[in-house]
Amino acid sequence: MPAYEKKEVEFFGKITAGSTHEMKNVLAIIRETCGLMEDLMALSRETPMPHREKFQKALAVIKAQIQRGVEIIDRLNRFAHSPDAEIARINLNETSEQVITLARRFARLKNVALDTEPGPPLTVVTRPVRLLMALFGCIECCLNVIPPGSKIYLRPQIKGETYALHIACEGDFPKPADSAQRMAAADQWPDLERTVASLGGSLELDASGPGVWLLLPKAPA
Amino acid sequence: MTKLTVLLVDDEVEFVKTLAERLQLRGFEVRVAVDGESAMNQIQAGFHDLVVLDVMMPGLGGLEVLKQIKQHQPRIPVILLTGHSSTSDGIEGMRLGAFDYLMKPINIDELIKKMQEAVAT
Repeated sequence: MPAYEKKEVEFFGKITAGSTHEMKNVLAIIRETCGLMEDLMALSRETPMPHREKFQKALAVIKAQIQRGVEIIDRLNRFAHSPDAEIARINLNETSEQVITLARRFARLKNVALDTEPGPPLTVVTRPVRLLMALFGCIECCLNVIPPGSKIYLRPQIKGETYALHIACEGDFPKPADSAQRMAAADQWPDLERTVASLGGSLELDASGPGVWLLLPKAPA
Repeated sequence: MTKLTVLLVDDEVEFVKTLAERLQLRGFEVRVAVDGESAMNQIQAGFHDLVVLDVMMPGLGGLEVLKQIKQHQPRIPVILLTGHSSTSDGIEGMRLGAFDYLMKPINIDELIKKMQEAVAT
């Protein structure tokens, strides 16, 4: 990667990681303040308090959203640390889980369910950010052609001499082969192919699904 | 049961104030420091059963405070609080002698359980 691009990506990662740390402190303050309100309400349990039940429900909602915020921030923090190493040994199951959590919101906006099915332990040596970007791109290609109500599964597996990530679409597809062709005809497909090629891998359309195979060379032992 | 005296150390003033109040409601004697230097001054000046210490603070950071506590008052157990999403700070802290660590935002019941374990050990 050209030096400046590398520095830009590292800069994004550093600032994002720092911001997630700060957000954790914000959530910690909100949680403690919420907790204090619960404590004080518990102390005055015998005293009549208008809307007590509503307060309790509201505090429960706040706590649930705090937890949701923590999960989002943890996810963002992990992503922000992706550029820490330009090239790394990567576990494909862990990467699949990571990209699913990053992409799930985008899938939900299209009313598509997104999940991963863990496979055998598979390790590749490659660029972590670029691999995440490539996987995300494959998911986007699928999201752009499949109807609402469909599902996308990410399945790491061995395919011939390569390690593969199968991005498989499931749902009501009258002509899966047509859907696969529409993926390949998308504007971003050539860029996606180039990105995967720069990782030493390749893309294959799965006309039966439809879906996409992202193939990568196995890591040296 | 004897009241435990705990020193809370965190530069996030609202966090440490609110946590102190919640621990006081639960029967703890709580003192507060908002930076590493004043934490060390308090530790040297008075008795504390344990310290709950944030890792990331400006100036004298949490891990440095931990090292100094272990050097000057090794009997005081320390529980670290970290805002990092990874466990690396906590693991480094335990290597330096912390009793345990919790990730923020914390669960107060979990904190109290660890505090009681720390003092019992």
